[in-house]
Order: sequence, then structure tokens, then C-alpha cells
Amino acid sequence: MQDAVRLQTEDFSVDAEIAALKSSSKRIGGIATFVGCARDFSEGRDVSRIDFDTYPAMALAELQRLRNSAIEKFGLLDACIVHRIGSVTAGDNIVLIVTAAEHRAPALNACHWLIDELKQCVPIWKKETTPQGESWVTPHP
Amino acid sequence: MIRVLFFGPVAERVQTREKQFEFIQGMKLQDVVTALSVSDPQAFDIVSFTAVNQTQVKDMQLPLNDGDEIAFMAKFSGG
Repeated sequence: MQDAVRLQTEDFSVDAEIAALKSSSKRIGGIATFVGCARDFSEGRDVSRIDFDTYPAMALAELQRLRNSAIEKFGLLDACIVHRIGSVTAGDNIVLIVTAAEHRAPALNACHWLIDELKQCVPIWKKETTPQGESWVTPHP
Repeated sequence: MIRVLFFGPVAERVQTREKQFEFIQGMKLQDVVTALSVSDPQAFDIVSFTAVNQTQVKDMQLPLNDGDEIAFMAKFSGG
């Protein structure tokens, strides 16, 4: 069984992560997912590659803290967060959040809350490669 | 010894991922900030977060302990 929060270079399977969560409880009535993907266009430029850097120990601690907070705040039955590191190209998966609850509203709300918090609190940085060169991404509001 | 870590855009500006400072009794976080502001001023233009032992801190008067790990970080852009 894989950890509920992970940083990994390899791609993830949305189906496998959902199946893992479903197997944890038969009380689950709703599962929400968010998948963040690499775009091929950003700030008016073509993007051919995105490289991620992270502070692994702090990032994992923050992801765990966010998962615990979401479970408590929204009454989730389970949740998982997977973020890729290393390099990805356009169309590749970047981040997966899966939230499971007895009903749809807490699952959907928790999923939205988690991705917003992840962007604010988790020490991960991305650098885009474009025909004009490489540049670190400025966070979006 | 105090380990200072840099990541992403800050590491690029400092041109290294780690520096070490000799621990001196009574040392505060501000002492490290002051030293790096002199040696690497271009990096501190984009530092938005500071962590000591993987926990964000805002109090620059925080006393340091031998073996502490400090990170100076730009705004995050994951997800």
C-alpha cells in the first residue's frame, strides 16, 4: 500500500488511486478528484518542458499536514495527494488530489481547498522551458 | 554547524544549494540573514519564506541551535 501523500518522479494512475481509496471504506458515497496537468502554452509562450524543484522534507510534512487538516475540516473518510517532481512535458500529469467522503459536497469542497492550500503552502517550484529560454514560474493568485 | 539550504530560483541566484555557517553560542536567525544579505543580495530580492528545521518562521530574532537547518525560499509555484 502506497503512502497517502507522495512526491514522485513517475506518473500516477488516477484509477489506481481512486481504487485504493474506495477499498479503505464502504461508507464512501462521493469521491472528488483534481488533476493538474502541464500546459504547452503559458504567459504567451510555448512551453516544451517543466522542471520541478522541491524541499522534500518540508514538502512532505506540509502535504501530510494539509491532508490531516482536510480530513478534520471537511469530515473526509480518506484523501490522497500525489505531486510529481523532476521533469514533465506538455500534457503530462503534475498533481493528483483525491478526496472521499460520505457525500459529494465535502469531497468536492475539500478537493478545491486542498489544491488552493497546496499552491500556497508546499515548497515546490516549477521552471518552464520555452523557445525564449528557461524561467521560474511566478505564482498565480 | 548551521546548514542553510536553497531551492529553485533562490538556489539559481546563490549558485549553490547549500552553505554552512559555524554555530556561535547566542546566534540568531537574523545573523544568518545579515551575512547572506551581504554575500548574496540578489537572492534575498525574491525570498518570501524562511524555515528553520522545516517549519516556517517569521521571527528573525529566533535563537538558533547547533545543527539547525535553515531554508530561504521564493514563493511556491507547485500544483
